[in-house]
Amino acid sequence: MADAERIYEAMRKSIETYDSDAAVAAAEEAVSAGLDLLEAVEKGFAGPIRELGEAFDRMEIFLPELTLGADAMKAGVAVLEKALDEQGAKLEKKATVVIGTVEGDIHDIGKSVVATLLQANGYEVYDLGVEVPSTRIIDAAESHNADVIAMSALLSTTMLYQRDVIELLKNKGTRDNYYILVGGAPVTQAWAEEIGANGFANDAFEAVQLLDREVGGQNS
Amino acid sequence: MRYQPSLKVLSDDQIYRIHQAALRMLMNPGVLVKSEEARRLLAQAGAFVNDETLICRIPGYIVEECLRRAPSAFTVYARDAANDVHVSTTSVHIEPMIGRINCYDSVTGEARPTNLQDVGDLIKIADAMPNYHLLHSGAIMPQIDGIPIRATHVNGYLQSIMNSTKPIKATSRERIMAEDCLRMVAVVAGGEDELKRRPCTFTTDNPVAPLHHDADQMDGALLYAKYGIPIDVTSEPQAGATSPVTIAGLLAQQTADVISGITILQLANPGNPVWYGTCGSIMDMRVGRIAIGAVEMGLINVASAQIAHFYDIPCRGTASATDSKELDFQAGYEKTAVMTMAVLGGVNKIFYPGTMEGALTVSKEGLVLDNEIAGAIYRVREGVDVFEDTLGVHVAQAVGPGGHYLNQRHTMEFIRQEHFMPQLADRQIRERWEASGKKNMVAKAQETVAKILAEHEVAPLPDGVEEELKRIVREVEEREEKRS
Repeated sequence: MADAERIYEAMRKSIETYDSDAAVAAAEEAVSAGLDLLEAVEKGFAGPIRELGEAFDRMEIFLPELTLGADAMKAGVAVLEKALDEQGAKLEKKATVVIGTVEGDIHDIGKSVVATLLQANGYEVYDLGVEVPSTRIIDAAESHNADVIAMSALLSTTMLYQRDVIELLKNKGTRDNYYILVGGAPVTQAWAEEIGANGFANDAFEAVQLLDREVGGQNS
Repeated sequence: MRYQPSLKVLSDDQIYRIHQAALRMLMNPGVLVKSEEARRLLAQAGAFVNDETLICRIPGYIVEECLRRAPSAFTVYARDAANDVHVSTTSVHIEPMIGRINCYDSVTGEARPTNLQDVGDLIKIADAMPNYHLLHSGAIMPQIDGIPIRATHVNGYLQSIMNSTKPIKATSRERIMAEDCLRMVAVVAGGEDELKRRPCTFTTDNPVAPLHHDADQMDGALLYAKYGIPIDVTSEPQAGATSPVTIAGLLAQQTADVISGITILQLANPGNPVWYGTCGSIMDMRVGRIAIGAVEMGLINVASAQIAHFYDIPCRGTASATDSKELDFQAGYEKTAVMTMAVLGGVNKIFYPGTMEGALTVSKEGLVLDNEIAGAIYRVREGVDVFEDTLGVHVAQAVGPGGHYLNQRHTMEFIRQEHFMPQLADRQIRERWEASGKKNMVAKAQETVAKILAEHEVAPLPDGVEEELKRIVREVEEREEKRS
């Protein structure tokens, strides 16, 4: 067990130092030492990334530290997931999220931070990128059997497409299959309610908290 | 004998290194150019254009040749020729922000969606303010409350041109919107030929940092270049997010963004008036948002002016912005600090007075308050006049030791040009201030706003022009309704 603790410590440290190479090395060591990999994910990576998110929320660390920490976690978890896969086990995801910036809008950063943080917090995330046409968002949600559709818009002209997606889903009769989350600079709670979205978040940390509360709890 | 006060933050060697770094970026990785017309122009000029990735690698000699074509001085015309603005690398003009999605009510402290009445009021206030010369307008707004969104530009332009005789900005954000606006500007100018002769508008072309010229934006800007209309080519990098985190890195990449845009426009219309523009700042990494009142923006403005002047092109900067949600100490501090640096740094067109809350919001009182800050800083820029009369030896001799200067004609003669007289800042003794209602600057600005809206008169458009503009607005509204 002493060995396990040492390896968990190395994993934790890799997140705290935002070091993807160290995260991969520690994860590989966990695999070769035959540790309980589900426990390793939680103790070595998931716990530390939650702490990092909280530190960001308290304005103690900066955004690049958060995203590099999340990148390190993703790199480490990928190693553990592959090994779990080979053992016939599976890392349980909280929920599946399809995320993108809506049609006509090229703004990438905010959406990518949300995607990264959701992934880091145990969600299966499909990032469709920017300028994503409404029909593509809907097709992707169907094909990935998503629980959540998350849409970003930075412009008040493009935020209208968030409504379009919801209207198209209603027409198809599949609106209620998804939890719909909207965000972006001009987007407000009032707008979310007006267009019939389920939730609105001001930033990535809030998005994670909201989904944990509203969606993640069901599957985890 | 007058010495022009100025502020510099880069040495000549540093400017040259930034220029070289920008040219290196333009060859590797190059710029993403989504406009087909722009790619064709670049290819004809000898740039390496990849039509699959849309990446254009532009050799330095092409860029430098195009920069030489851009004029160092030009005129932005107004519908009243007395308000024409003569732009050069040594002039300073201020462009307040008019169209933002929200309008701040300083009485309730709330921000609410900007409507068409607000647009007219904001323009009218800016028209009345002596320190504002070039006016942003409702034409560039993302949305006006109560107006069909795809007809925002034409309604916004009409409301703006009716309420000011200063140069009114129009949008180049999309080719069709640019066409609509220019049709209206042509009506105001008196026909398409007049539009070419006296193009009474100007616009902004925003490359998308990093290193990306969007098709909608560039195609619109190219239409403006067809008419020789002045364009500020302005990159908006956020250090650490959309540019390197270092100020030097931001400046190098911003320069690559801007001079590649200028290159495309100069290839389309050699000699087209342009500004080298910056709206660069830092991202606050604790909240992941642009910090638009950051003091680093002062450094970036001054450095940008130096780089623009190295190219012998006027500079457009961004100052008098704030991240504050109120008209408070933070707003005053952030606006004054950056504005002072921008003016003393020689930025030739300074954009953003009137804004607050990271420029999501604009305020009528803010326009009045920022006009006062601008006036004070203009005074600083005037410097110190030193000649026989101002040295005042003769008056010191007349007054003699122990006397005073209050009853001297010399005092009376020079007081107005030597001393800036604030209209809003209070300098009375406490008792007088209390007796007059304990008004702070915001309260006084509210009174000024009310007075302007009640009394300020703007010359109406010539006969028939308003009707013709309204006809175009209706036509665009009908067209867009059909499209949707």
